[in-house]
Amino acid sequence: MRKYAVIYQSVLLENLQYAANVAIGFFTYFVFIFIFIKLWGYMYRTPEELIAGYTKEQMIWYVMMTEMLYFGSNANVVAGEVAGDIRGGNIAYRINRPYHYTLYILTKYTGEWSVRLPMYAAVAAVIGAVMVGPLPRFRLITLPVMALCVILGITINAVFKLCISLFSFWIEDTAPFQWLYNKLILVVGIMFPVEIFPKALQPLLKLTPIYTVCYGPAKLIVDFSPAKCLEIVAAQVVYLAVGCGLMVLIYRKGVRKLYVNGG
Amino acid sequence: MLTAAKNQVRVCLLSIKYNIMREMVNKVTFLTNVCFMVLNDASILVQWFILFRLREDVGGYTLREIMLLWGLTAASFGLSRILFARVFSLSELIISGKLDSFLVQPKNVLLSVMTSSTNISAVGDLLYGVVLACACRPGVGGFLLFLLFTVTGTVVFTAFALLLGSLSFWLVRMDILQSQMTMGMISFGTYPDGIFEGISRFLLYFIIPVGMAVWLPLHVIVNFDVRTFFALIGYACLLSGAAVAVFYRGLRRYASGNLMEARL
Amino acid sequence: MQVIRVEDLSKTFRVKKKEKGMTGSIKAILHPQTEKIQAVNGVSFTVEEGEMLAFIGPNGAGKSTTIKMLTGILYPDGGRVEVLGVDPTKKRKQLAYQIGTVFGQKEQLWTHLTPYDNFRFFGAIYDLSERETEARIEELSERFALGSFIDTPVRNLSLGQRIRCEIVASLIHKPKVLFLDEPTIGLDPVVKENIRSLIMQMNQEEHTTIFLTSHDVGDIEKLCRRIIIVNAGRIVLDDSVEHLKHHYPDKRAADTQAHEKAAENGDSLSISLEEIITEIYKSEERIAEK
Repeated sequence: MRKYAVIYQSVLLENLQYAANVAIGFFTYFVFIFIFIKLWGYMYRTPEELIAGYTKEQMIWYVMMTEMLYFGSNANVVAGEVAGDIRGGNIAYRINRPYHYTLYILTKYTGEWSVRLPMYAAVAAVIGAVMVGPLPRFRLITLPVMALCVILGITINAVFKLCISLFSFWIEDTAPFQWLYNKLILVVGIMFPVEIFPKALQPLLKLTPIYTVCYGPAKLIVDFSPAKCLEIVAAQVVYLAVGCGLMVLIYRKGVRKLYVNGG
Repeated sequence: MLTAAKNQVRVCLLSIKYNIMREMVNKVTFLTNVCFMVLNDASILVQWFILFRLREDVGGYTLREIMLLWGLTAASFGLSRILFARVFSLSELIISGKLDSFLVQPKNVLLSVMTSSTNISAVGDLLYGVVLACACRPGVGGFLLFLLFTVTGTVVFTAFALLLGSLSFWLVRMDILQSQMTMGMISFGTYPDGIFEGISRFLLYFIIPVGMAVWLPLHVIVNFDVRTFFALIGYACLLSGAAVAVFYRGLRRYASGNLMEARL
Repeated sequence: MQVIRVEDLSKTFRVKKKEKGMTGSIKAILHPQTEKIQAVNGVSFTVEEGEMLAFIGPNGAGKSTTIKMLTGILYPDGGRVEVLGVDPTKKRKQLAYQIGTVFGQKEQLWTHLTPYDNFRFFGAIYDLSERETEARIEELSERFALGSFIDTPVRNLSLGQRIRCEIVASLIHKPKVLFLDEPTIGLDPVVKENIRSLIMQMNQEEHTTIFLTSHDVGDIEKLCRRIIIVNAGRIVLDDSVEHLKHHYPDKRAADTQAHEKAAENGDSLSISLEEIITEIYKSEERIAEK
């Protein structure tokens, strides 16, 4: 385990130096949030109105949180980089090192978001406090649980994207599949909470990764309840276990293919 | 004078043609890129269907008007990046000193630079924009107006990107700001102006010219008004004039070599 | 006729000074400090029509800055430049019609197109008519032996074939002066030789003036009769290659031990151009250190 801690530490230090570059991305984040503030400002006719069970503040905070998760984690490490390693043949040098490649990638990814995510969280908090207003049922005491849920969500997302990238062992270009996955998360998961979709679709959406990757953490932050929390964290643990199992399986098969056929 | 202009146009067209030919070398990649862009744009419709389930208008727009707006933004931004993709990465070109090879050619520097690359997924944007506009059944007059405003929108988007990019002659880190500002402008352009009010509305008309690029044109398509129509065309000319002036101002600075620190 | 006239040319860059680390960055924003770097400092020379000149010097000596001023990319701070009777600063476009440039490390060709299409593009840039372009392409492709690959996309060509095409592209409009910046960089000896003889041929047949920078002494030895060495923005030597070779004071001549050693190994003790140039660079370095 110690070697992963060292990898994590060095990636973290490297990324801390680029913190200023991360800050430049705030502009795009702010533009999105600003649009959503205005959009929901128009959609809610009265301040007391509820849409799909959400107050206006909750609705905006929801988007702020999902966008924070999206911007706060740099998915390129688990997507483009892995696919590039495999297709470009770099993987041959990586698998012979005394670490597990997938864990190495996940550690690197974690080192990256450890810098980005807190920065985006801080920006979100400022925008929220200044332009949106406080969340009614937010308690500081539940913050650790929320953080756990966020970290689980971000990691599950990475594991799924990593699984897709690992298909590069067999197919030329995994980018279209990454794209489809991203679109699903972006269009269905980030902009609206699940409750806003037609009733018939909702059970289906709860089965997709959206539920554990973005809806779950964001929902807990805007509308915390112990029961909901238990349900979401339990679902996350199941998803993480299944995702990791899949990841290891695909990776083993892929490496075996590499040994048989050579890059 | 006339032959010089003719020759210049010939070179620009040849340049654009060669750019597109390059992207078409691999037909499969080309088609996938275009198709994915169309799908990408189309997927956003989900958002609007959801929003219109909640209220019958969004920012005073009907679903049809939203689709027209989307079409106009996609088509303008698409055309802009098919013809003048390099403008959107002008900062990089300036910072890395790559204008040199354009300066030794006996042709207009700005035009050579602008037409020196293309973005092929932008074909998807243009295609989607035009198809979406047709789907709204704007009528012949409306469609002609749509095409005309696609052109003025292209001019405004390009000129604004050129203006921002040219600031790289003076300011560092403009490359990131340029891409963020242009992308921001496009994001605003896909939402109705009715949701913005007060200062933000003013900023979006006069500082980041989304209003001039797509919102006002949309209003003219829906509700024709001669004065706004000519005002828009005048604005497009004015902004491009300003952008060109700033570029050439900056080029003088480039030639003085004070940006060269990175290259010494 | 003098095609290039440079008088007391100089160019200063202002470079921002920045201390290391975060505090340095902040300081640089609050109190920007600039440092002047004299890239070219009072350079004067002339080049006759049809001459082949090697313009060399260690990295950072001011070679590319000078070429950039000669081609109108950079404006000088002081002195005068005239190329083909034209001031590059004032009439850059007009000059561009009459000069050609090849930058060994920068490609100007479109790699996905065939050389033929590329040449037609350059023909259009220099306002040649279709017929003129065709005739010129035929002429040059014969001379440079491009026939076998003129319809193959540039990206599929070998480096040597590519550089040949680069040179042809820059000759399409019959330039009177050709600026070559490291034309043989990265090429194998046979291809280098081939490129050199082609340049030589161009010079003889079309009377093209060649302005060459290169770190490859072979290029200079084979092509140029005259050599200008610059360092720290100044000309340190302007001489004919022949004269330099025969009159450079060889320190080893006085060294009897070296004579004996060379005789034992059967070597001749005559000093090569490469060694002379190295010596000059080194002595420049020593002066700078002092």
